[in-house]
Amino acid sequence: MSKIPVSSARDYTVELRVRRFNPEKDSAPWWGEYTLEGVSPNDTVLDLLHRVKWTMDGTLSLRRSCAHGVCGSDNMKINGANALACKMLVARLANGKNPVSIQVEPMAGLPVLKDLIVDMEPFFEHYRSVLPYFINDEPPPADGRERLQSPEDREKFDDTTKCILCAACTTSCPSFWADDRYVGPAAIVQAHRFIYDSRDQGYEERLSIMAEQFGVWKCRTIFNCTNACPRDIEVTKAIAEVKMSITTGKV
Amino acid sequence: MTTITGTPSEGVTTRIARLQARTPLERYGYLFMRLSGVALIVLAIGHMMIQHVLNDVHSLTLEFVRQQWTSWGWRTYDLFLLIFAISHGFNGLRVVLEDYIHNPRTVRFVRWFLLIFTIITIVWSAVAIATFDASIG
Ligand code: SF4
Ligand code: FES
Repeated sequence: MSKIPVSSARDYTVELRVRRFNPEKDSAPWWGEYTLEGVSPNDTVLDLLHRVKWTMDGTLSLRRSCAHGVCGSDNMKINGANALACKMLVARLANGKNPVSIQVEPMAGLPVLKDLIVDMEPFFEHYRSVLPYFINDEPPPADGRERLQSPEDREKFDDTTKCILCAACTTSCPSFWADDRYVGPAAIVQAHRFIYDSRDQGYEERLSIMAEQFGVWKCRTIFNCTNACPRDIEVTKAIAEVKMSITTGKV
Repeated sequence: MTTITGTPSEGVTTRIARLQARTPLERYGYLFMRLSGVALIVLAIGHMMIQHVLNDVHSLTLEFVRQQWTSWGWRTYDLFLLIFAISHGFNGLRVVLEDYIHNPRTVRFVRWFLLIFTIITIVWSAVAIATFDASIG
């Protein structure tokens, strides 16, 4: 990633375009256009949306919680690519230009409920379908303490533990856009996290879910998921590992 | 939001049983695409080299083919190229179409149609390769 020039001057002007839709009033989505003066290059897109909501148009609806890239609730399409609004700096989008044009839309592939808020239920339904929880029916070790694991075994699924379920990967995936019965990259990342955990015993079930018609085979290695992930998880690689395990039977 | 419980819900359990019983078409399809893809890299590049690099396209006449097909080795080569290229191509087309066609009955129709088309194309061309009379000259 290129270095962003840091400056605290509030000398940017942003031409912000936001995809708006209120199902109770609008028959079709429309573009809300807002000119914001005195923007700092260190402001995030979330800061801009807050400014619109708090000082210009209180009806603008969006999801966010932590504002620090941890909770994964404010993924949206920013200048055409999925990103967390709270992590995307104006400086990165400015690219040396001032005024800066920024376009914000809800993520694709999920039904829009209002403005930037989409219905996440289809996404979480896929998430739940991969049994995203620890399965081990054996009694815990005799000393009653933790089930141990070597650092090498931990390393196998380290990358996929970083997922915050923001849906940036799944909603950037053309296979998911084409057919939302596809379980999607995020659910595969979650399955990966448990399949390769040496303490977990549910891998056979999970692999058989992954091997179904709308599991990993729907992945066409487009790599949009890997590009979109705000946690830099190598999503396509994780999917490839699951495909390999299904083919060879080895975990 | 629905809470996640410690054991699979009944829906999920029945789903798993159903899935395990199903033939893993996509799994073998995927493996087939990888393996035939590797075969095609060798076969198609070899074919390209012979027809377009080592030989001038303008000399690609019936006589050229006749001479090549006096050897059963080359006939076998072309037969493999034919089988892999057609089946790899049509399976790829099936996969692309199934991304966008969601009606199960249409999907079934597309599958059978492409399968029959693939078999007819391969058999028909294989007969041509096998029965070609290389002695005419
Ligand atoms: S894998 Fe990355 S992009 Fe996908 S849901 Fe998890 S954090 Fe978001
Ligand atoms: S608000 Fe939590 S990740 Fe952006």
